[in-house]
Amino acid sequence: MIPQKFEYTAPKTLDEALLLLAAGAKPLAGGMSLIPMMKLRLAAPEHLVDLGKLKDLNYIRETDGTLHIGATTTHAEIESSPILRKKCPLLAETAAAIGDVQVRNMGTIGGSVAHADPAADYPAALQALEAKLALKGAKSDRIVAAADFFVDAFTTALQPNEIIREVIVPVEAAGTGTSYQKMFHPASGFAIVGIAARVRKKAGNIALVRIGVTGLSNRPYRAATAEKALEGKLGSATEIQNAAALVAKGVDANSDLHASAEYRRHLAVVHAARALMTALARTA
Amino acid sequence: MKISGSYTLPLPPERTYQMMQDPEVLARAIPGCEGLEKTGEGEYRMKMQMALASLSGAFEGRVRITDQTPSLSFRLVVEGAGRIGFVKGEGLLKLRAADGGTEVSYEGEAQVGGTIAAVGQRLIDGTAKMMIKKFFEKFAEAAS
Amino acid sequence: MATTMTQTETFVGKRVRRREDPRLITGTATYVEDIQMPGMHYAVIVRSPHAAARIRSIKTKQAEAAPGVVAVYTGKDTERVGPVPCGASLPGLRVPHHHVLATDRVYFVGHPVAVVVATDRYLARDAADLVEVDYDVLPAVADPEKALAKGAPAVHPEWPDNTAFTFHQEGGDVDKAFAEADLVVKQRMTSQRLIPMALETRGVVAEWRGADRQLNLYTSTQIPHLVRTLVAQMLSLEENRMRVVTPEVGGGFGSKLNVYAEEALMGFVAMKINKPVKWIESRRENFLCTIHGRGHVDYYEVAAKRDGTILGIKLKIIQDLGAYHQLLTPAIPTLSVLMMPGLYKTKNVRADIVGVFTNCMPTDAYRGAGRPEATHGIERMVDLLADELKMDPAEIRLKNFVGKDEFPYATATGLMYDSGDYAAPLKKALEIVGYQKLRQEQIEARKQGKWMGIGISTYGEICAIGPSPATPAGGWESATVKIEPSGKVTVMTGACPHGQGEETTFAQITADELGVGLDDVLVIRGDTAIVQYGIGTFGSRATAIGGTALYFALQDLKAKIKKFGAMLLESEDVTFSAGQVTCNRTGKSKSLQEIAGASYRALKLPPETEPGLLATRFWEPPNFTFPFGAHIVVSDIDGETGQIKIRRYVAVDDCGNMINPLLVDGQVHGGVAQGLGQALWEQVVYDDNGQLVTGELMDYAVPRAHMMPWIENDHTTTPSPVNPLGVKGVGEAGTIGCSPAVVNSVVDALSPLGVRHIDMPLTPEKIWKLIAGGN
Repeated sequence: MIPQKFEYTAPKTLDEALLLLAAGAKPLAGGMSLIPMMKLRLAAPEHLVDLGKLKDLNYIRETDGTLHIGATTTHAEIESSPILRKKCPLLAETAAAIGDVQVRNMGTIGGSVAHADPAADYPAALQALEAKLALKGAKSDRIVAAADFFVDAFTTALQPNEIIREVIVPVEAAGTGTSYQKMFHPASGFAIVGIAARVRKKAGNIALVRIGVTGLSNRPYRAATAEKALEGKLGSATEIQNAAALVAKGVDANSDLHASAEYRRHLAVVHAARALMTALARTA
Repeated sequence: MKISGSYTLPLPPERTYQMMQDPEVLARAIPGCEGLEKTGEGEYRMKMQMALASLSGAFEGRVRITDQTPSLSFRLVVEGAGRIGFVKGEGLLKLRAADGGTEVSYEGEAQVGGTIAAVGQRLIDGTAKMMIKKFFEKFAEAAS
Repeated sequence: MATTMTQTETFVGKRVRRREDPRLITGTATYVEDIQMPGMHYAVIVRSPHAAARIRSIKTKQAEAAPGVVAVYTGKDTERVGPVPCGASLPGLRVPHHHVLATDRVYFVGHPVAVVVATDRYLARDAADLVEVDYDVLPAVADPEKALAKGAPAVHPEWPDNTAFTFHQEGGDVDKAFAEADLVVKQRMTSQRLIPMALETRGVVAEWRGADRQLNLYTSTQIPHLVRTLVAQMLSLEENRMRVVTPEVGGGFGSKLNVYAEEALMGFVAMKINKPVKWIESRRENFLCTIHGRGHVDYYEVAAKRDGTILGIKLKIIQDLGAYHQLLTPAIPTLSVLMMPGLYKTKNVRADIVGVFTNCMPTDAYRGAGRPEATHGIERMVDLLADELKMDPAEIRLKNFVGKDEFPYATATGLMYDSGDYAAPLKKALEIVGYQKLRQEQIEARKQGKWMGIGISTYGEICAIGPSPATPAGGWESATVKIEPSGKVTVMTGACPHGQGEETTFAQITADELGVGLDDVLVIRGDTAIVQYGIGTFGSRATAIGGTALYFALQDLKAKIKKFGAMLLESEDVTFSAGQVTCNRTGKSKSLQEIAGASYRALKLPPETEPGLLATRFWEPPNFTFPFGAHIVVSDIDGETGQIKIRRYVAVDDCGNMINPLLVDGQVHGGVAQGLGQALWEQVVYDDNGQLVTGELMDYAVPRAHMMPWIENDHTTTPSPVNPLGVKGVGEAGTIGCSPAVVNSVVDALSPLGVRHIDMPLTPEKIWKLIAGGN
């Protein structure tokens, strides 16, 4: 459990960090996945740039009806943020479901999202929230939709030397209910399956449904057919069941010791129904 | 661990088969492969640089092609060993004409050992799938 | 403190808080890793990534030339270090020669191949990557039943059947019992391999003082004296030239009841380089190279009469031994055989064990060691029988229990149960849980399509291990009590408690006997240079045997204190109580402090009495002790996901007299946590090539605090006649009682589907499949 020799820099400013990254350094943003890999010597970066110490990436603020979360904001900060709990409770609820207390105190949203573990919790919420990610490189500054960000397991739209600057999520409109339902992996705490649901009601009907799925396959995704099946409906138990039944359709599900592909698919359906049911109840 | 699946390539089966025996094409398609060197009939030595998330490591490996039935099927064995452990993938690939292209179905086994096995049982299946997908994507690229 | 308080307050039987906790909670305790010495070197071990391979060559040149490296040793260098010892002996046992470093072949993933020593642990680790081992990989076998099949790869080429031993034991007339039976129930079940998972991994510091010809070995062990005796032998060093110190031990659970290659290897290195050397096991190594527990496949048959009377039991155990025998590896399944009748009266038993080599880490003692497997087996079988006969599982147990007037009770397996009232904890547990009401609720729940189950486990166990004939290295324990000139009391125990709390309980016993305060007593353990000799802490023995040795040493001292008191008071008619010797005629008294002072100043001595106040006792127990109890689990199953929620956990344990009920409850809590781990989550999985695929905490699921149910503890008290304290032992009870209660509750919940048995761990997927398939 002893890593290879590496340089460590904790820059004071984002620009300084970006310059180091452009020179080939690897970003450290909490280290909940990277450090264990380094201890096993499965990862051996020569130079680590600690983004976690950058004060200008740690914030949660509201501007123009959207919420901006700095990349180095920890899961614990997101979980306990009064503004998020009120205006984007799905993200706070999802953060609270991550790993354990120690991980939530150290891990950051930027680090987790950039790492793109296929069983991470945030991607489900980000898909459901139609979140945007602000990416920054030494010479670039761009916005990418969550839907386009996650490409495959551990593979994202991030270019080499680019980092996540902030995560942008909407302020929930009135009449919106959300829920994150997850089956915990008993060893790792990751999601065997995690479903984030958003439901908005208007004049008694379901006006908007968003369902984000993580853990089931290599890529977190939005279950668009399931969403469509429920939009415009009243939200009866049968309607929810029918919609939930569609979330895993055509998805190449992963399997491991704790859950086969078949079981994972089934769990996705069950948790989708529960998430939708809970979200619907919270629209009131 | 068992692996199986299929992938459709926009090439006729004969051409697909032929290219899949071509070390130049294979070298470009095998994820992380930095070159194949022929050591015998259907046998190659391989240098490989694995990179997956933060994981990285150099591997020395072998590629073997056996049980050839031209245009129909063959067995592909890819193995590599390095400081962080070893990986081995072995599968029977079957080719079938489909919609003007070729459906390649595969069935076999993936194995990891050494420290790399500690990377997480929970991730092995997904990672194997991703590697296979990359293989076909890069193969399609190399073929066109 | 300048004075020793004499007092009338007593401590035994009270919920006294652990005196060892402040240093543990504040992180100021000293573990092996905390030991620093000038000139310390660091060792890293190169291990095999293959489960079976021939070693073609090992190249160490590059590693030797790396910065900071002082030496690299391979199997060639350590050939003369004695083999890693197997302490168990069974007729016909095949014992492979277990080198500390592999020589020409490796037998399991993690097998040590070379050791790199450097001035700095980082440099040592870097250099380890430069050792080049050329392996010729061979086929491996990781499953014990596959290893027994024809044509399986031979783990040790000299024994192609992979069989290390077979063992047969029989009592009564089994064939007659089965012939007369109204019915026979049969079941195959497994007790999966587990990782003992101590929070503190193993670690060794070895220091060779060449000029003094003295080897100091600091190691995280449960058995410092045995480590000294055995490691000195391995190193061909005179035993009195070696000192073993066991600082704080962060959990053992049996995994440190062993002598490991690394302990001798570090001694070897220190003697070679003439500098202190430290090796700390990584968590990954702990998974791969510290013993595993369980690893049974059991085939049970139970014969019974229609009224539920159990007539006989047949058991075949296939024990996965791993590639080698560690200290007690082959002996563990024989404990299962001893306990196979459980608490039931049957006199007809037949057991066969096949000990099987596999290309895996050896199995050995893990909390309960053979007894959880036996209890799981018989308690599952009794439930199967009850189900077959449509009897209530509580009723069938009550019918078959050994009666409370039948003790001492000779079992069919040759044991003599010391004392018991087996119905008492069961009845108490049934009452606490509200059994009848729960059964009513279950009927209603089933009507509503809910899955709810009630599971009972009534366990017995062998504790206070054990009388010397039953153990490989002596079954007694020792204690020295020394009253210092100031009156302070120092206890040196040969048991080496490592988390069980004897610094508190032994102080309670001592304080009560001598009439002093708890803070006046210091309990020392774990240093062979200070403590006389000892066997160690395992098999729930420390209090029952070590505590008894202490008790007798205290009686000796009390007699001597009385003599000194009588002399000082110039009276023969004296009493010693509450820390005072008092003349019964004059009422004058002398404090313990005054007496202690006088005993050392020795201006005047009582007739035929030596100066000083010191007594040592080595106590050999006449028998084991046999605690028992009843655990009841109520579980609710989420029919959609298969997830099990434990609604109630009631544990009524009878461990004889309790020195400290708070610590007894703590032991039960810890034991239950590990029992639940086996029942619900944990499993060691080797793939077909012998690769450990659950080799990290990200894959291997140990229970976390938030996964634990609330445990409702209660007790009955049946003192043991084996020792004067009347204590039995409780360290393993929770683990032993737990797993069958959990599995019985889940099988009970799913019984409407015709489910009879489920192997552990009860993963949600298994449960879901049963429900989905059954509907």
